[in-house]
Parts: sequence; structure tokens; C-alpha cells
Amino acid sequence: MAVPPRHPEKVALVTGASRGLGRVLARFLAEQGYGLLLTARGEVGLREVAEELRPFTSNVASIAGDVTDAGHRDRVLEAARAWRRIDVLVNNASELGPSPLPPLEAASRDDFVRVLEVNVLAPLALIREALPLLRISKGLVVNITSDAAIGGYPGWGLYGASKAALDLVSKTLAAELKDRGVSIVSVDPGDMRTKMHQDAYLGQDISDRPPPDVTLPFWAWLLSQPPKAVSGGRFQAQASLWEVPA
Amino acid sequence: MRRADLVFERPENLFARVPPEARGRDRDDVRLLVTLPDGHRDARFEDLPQFLRAGDLLVVNESAAIPASLSARGRLGTILLNLSTRFRSDLWIAEPRWSAGKPGPLPVEPGEDLRIGTATVRLLSQYPGIPRLWFVSSNRPLDGIVAERGQPIHYGYTDAWPMEVYRTLFSRVPGSAEMPSAARPITPRIRGLLEEAGVRIAPVLLHTGVSSLEIESETVEAQAMYPEPFSVSAETARAVNRAHASGGRVIAIGTTVVRALESAWTPAGVRPCVGFTRLFVHPDRGIHAVDGLLTGFHDPVTSHLALLTAFLGIDGVRSVYAAAVRSGYLWHEFGDSHLILTSHLGPAGPMDPT
Repeated sequence: MAVPPRHPEKVALVTGASRGLGRVLARFLAEQGYGLLLTARGEVGLREVAEELRPFTSNVASIAGDVTDAGHRDRVLEAARAWRRIDVLVNNASELGPSPLPPLEAASRDDFVRVLEVNVLAPLALIREALPLLRISKGLVVNITSDAAIGGYPGWGLYGASKAALDLVSKTLAAELKDRGVSIVSVDPGDMRTKMHQDAYLGQDISDRPPPDVTLPFWAWLLSQPPKAVSGGRFQAQASLWEVPA
Repeated sequence: MRRADLVFERPENLFARVPPEARGRDRDDVRLLVTLPDGHRDARFEDLPQFLRAGDLLVVNESAAIPASLSARGRLGTILLNLSTRFRSDLWIAEPRWSAGKPGPLPVEPGEDLRIGTATVRLLSQYPGIPRLWFVSSNRPLDGIVAERGQPIHYGYTDAWPMEVYRTLFSRVPGSAEMPSAARPITPRIRGLLEEAGVRIAPVLLHTGVSSLEIESETVEAQAMYPEPFSVSAETARAVNRAHASGGRVIAIGTTVVRALESAWTPAGVRPCVGFTRLFVHPDRGIHAVDGLLTGFHDPVTSHLALLTAFLGIDGVRSVYAAAVRSGYLWHEFGDSHLILTSHLGPAGPMDPT
């Protein structure tokens, strides 16, 4: 008779896990023994990542889909409910908008709506829906942001505005959920050699940007802090100083 | 600054291989090279108070060394795993080595397991930009394993001494992979002389990782650094700012203290700060929080040597190290001391080479 698989002691849910930062972070979490719930739109890439992680953890589930789709989020959380907890929720899936990046005066309303849906509304919805599981684990929500949120860089208006909104969602939720044991941080991973970065700099050589594993030291630090101690903070993963908020 | 600028020669007979107390001498019985804006002075360590004055503030590191070197068994046989930085009791940065005298990098793979006593330690990923360092996780807290089985980290030029040899008068909080060694010659007698001279002492905490990094990148500033846990208390931040406001000098006792205070520095002064820092202090970044440094003599092409150039400029460092070799000063943690004062008065500024 088959022995039912043991529930993992710690569970991480990573969106946008099929490549780039999400993939590197998912692997680092798996290496540390987390059970992994992975989601991304690209089914083939996602399955590849799940296979890559199996040597490190016996608990990997991958569910392809779009985080803006409520039905998809429900399927992802159904899997999490089977594991009865979420210790780390990483809202990493992001929409850059049209490539090449249009100046704001030329950007379409539809594009802006899509960017806001993926980068602000979907993460907020996923956090709300995951709250019961996050509360059980006294979990940490990591919202991936960008220096475009404060930069005012030409062409980055849609994406930057959405990340600025996400930063405020993070900070507000951190204050609102403080007494319920759920912690929330914003993390700016910095420039990295990823598909999204290449899409933002179409046709340009981005080989001087570091690969996403440049952020591993930061993740080792962040995931070792008591979540409460860092909640409400905004961190730069490639900075030389990671400070516990006073 | 180019890597090649930090290359220099010093004969192996200048390596201090044993601590002075192992020869029946006092810890403060070492030489002191003093670098002042107008040149060098050869002195004894007990002369330290003569170069300081009332109102100066010495800042010391309260971190104590732990026996972080562990014998580990695995696919390559018995190797050494030197723990460097603790994130959690079961997640560290570590350096696998063949032995104390024989460094890596070792031909190990991600996912490979090592046995250390009753613990299984897994090599996860290489540290980005520093291939000899690995993230490692353990199925048991490593703190207890370290206490039971650890040896002090040491290298080919010296043996492992009892842990007491690696403690200083100020060691209070265990956590450094290697001894913050600059304060080693400060004995109770020297501390008494400093207090009589009106020099005050304040603590910071920085748990230092494995030995000063050898710079591998072509330009010094491009070198990847690893993070170290540190904290600067509100009380020490106030003491530093007060010393500066009243014309006193702030002297870092060790490069760890420079890194801690510079990490906590803002243009408005030093502030209380708790976290991890991998600040690389080099001439482009400059020195803001301290006016002097008491340290040892550092190896060629290391990040600590690059830190000295932030005080003295590259020509200044080359000149003082040539003088130190000529005069037979001793290198490494059991060696002689070097006091750098960038000004007789007031805050730090770049110093002319002598």
C-alpha cells in the first residue's frame, strides 16, 4: 500500500517561477527543504523547473496559469490547503507592458489595465485568498518591486506606477496585518540578466547585468529573519546593507 | 583601483606563527608602527596612549571567535568545512577546504552531503562571485556541533591554539569565524593607561567571516563581498557623534569596526543600525565615520588591504608596507600592530604619501 506523502514542514508559493528570478528563488527554497508550489503561465518552462527541483525536495507542485485568473488562483491555493500552510508567498510574476517600452503619452489604456491587473490586483487578491494559510504559519509575503517604482525613468511609466502601487499595498497591509501574525515586505531585486530585462532593453547587450543568483545572499538573510522583524520594510537585494527596520 | 596595485612581497620569516604569550611574554609585548600625516614612528604597543589624547574614542568589536573549523566526511574523503557567516543555526556560508594549509576550491557539486558528527550538512549553491564559498544547510543546528567538535580556524602558517588565545579583553558575544584580532594586545594594563589618558572606549558588534577576501576581479571595486551580521547601538552612535562634535577622534580598533561604523554612517552622522553588511570600504567610497585605525599587517591583494588604501591612498599603503617589511614588523593575527591616524586634529581626510 502506498504511504501517503508526508506534508512538508515549510511551504513556499512562488509565482512567475518558470524562469529568471522566480526560478532561482524557487530552487534556493527547495534546496533548503521547503515544499514548493510553483506557478507561471508557461507550462513547459514550469514543468522543467519542477523537474529541476525534485532532487532537492520531495514536495513540488506546479500549476500553470495566469495569476489574474481567479479560477487559477483557487487551484493553486487548493494545493496549498492540502499542505495546510504557506510560510512564504512570493509575488514575483510581473507584467512589463509593451516592448519596446512606450512613453506614457503613447501607452494604451488596455496595456495599463493589464499591467495593473498582474502587478497590483493579482498579488493583492492572492494575499487575501492565502491569508488563512499565512496566518497558520505566521508567514511572510514577499512582493517583488523595482527601482522603477521611484525612478520616473522614461518608458517605465506603466510598470513603475504599478510597482509604486504595489509598494504601498505592501506597506499598508504590513500595518493592517501586524496583529494577525502575517508579515509583508517589498523587495527590489535590482537589474539582472533576465528575459524581462531584455524585453525592456530590446536589442541591447545586457550581458553586464548579473544573473539572478546574485540575489541569493539577500534571500538567505531575509528568510532567516523573524518575519515580524522585517515586516513593512522595503529592501534592495543587491545593496551592501540589509537593515532590520528600527 | 587595479588588483595589481595591491600586490607586494614580504618574506615568510615575517609571519608571526605563535602568540607572544606562548613564549612567556605579555600580549602587549609587540611592536607598534604608527603612521601619522607627517610620517612613520616605530614604537612599542604600550606607547599607544602617547599617540592619543583626552576626548579620543576607541571603538572595539565585542564579537568573540567561535571554533568554526569542522572536520567533515564526504565523497572527497575527510575535508575541512570552515563556517563563515551564520544566517540561522541551520543555514550558513562556509568554505570547504582540503585542510588548514590547503585551500579550495574543491570539486564539489550542489546537493552534495557532508557528515559532521551526527549532522548532515548539504552544499546548496556557490556564493555568487566568490566560488570558494558555499551556502550550506544542516539537518541539525550547527551551533551545538561547533561547540562539541569545532577547532579555531587557522591557516598553514600557525597551529590551532586554545580558544582563549583568540579572545580579547572585549570579546563578549560569540559569533566570529575568525578572531577580530586588533584588540588582542590591549591588556588590562594598557586599558588602564588609556583610561588615565582620558581616552574612552565604546563597543560595536560585527561577526567577521573567514579571512580577508583575496580580490579576484581585475578592478578592486568589482570584487563581490559576503555579508556579515553587525549592530551599532544608540549609545555607541551617540558617543561617536559626540566625540566628533567636540573635536575628538574616533579610532576603530580593527577593520571590522571600520566596516560596522561606516555601514551605520549617514551624512548626518552615525546612527543606530542592526543588520547584515557587505560594505566594501575602498578609496572611491572613502572613510567618513572614523579618523584612525588600529590594525595588524595584512596580506597582499586582500579586501582589508584595500580598506587601508581608503585611509592612506595606494601610494601611502605601499610606502608604509615597504617600511614595515624593511623594519621587520610581523604579519598576521599574532603579529605586530599598526596605528593609522589620518589627522592630528579633526576629522579624517586623505593623507599625503610619506
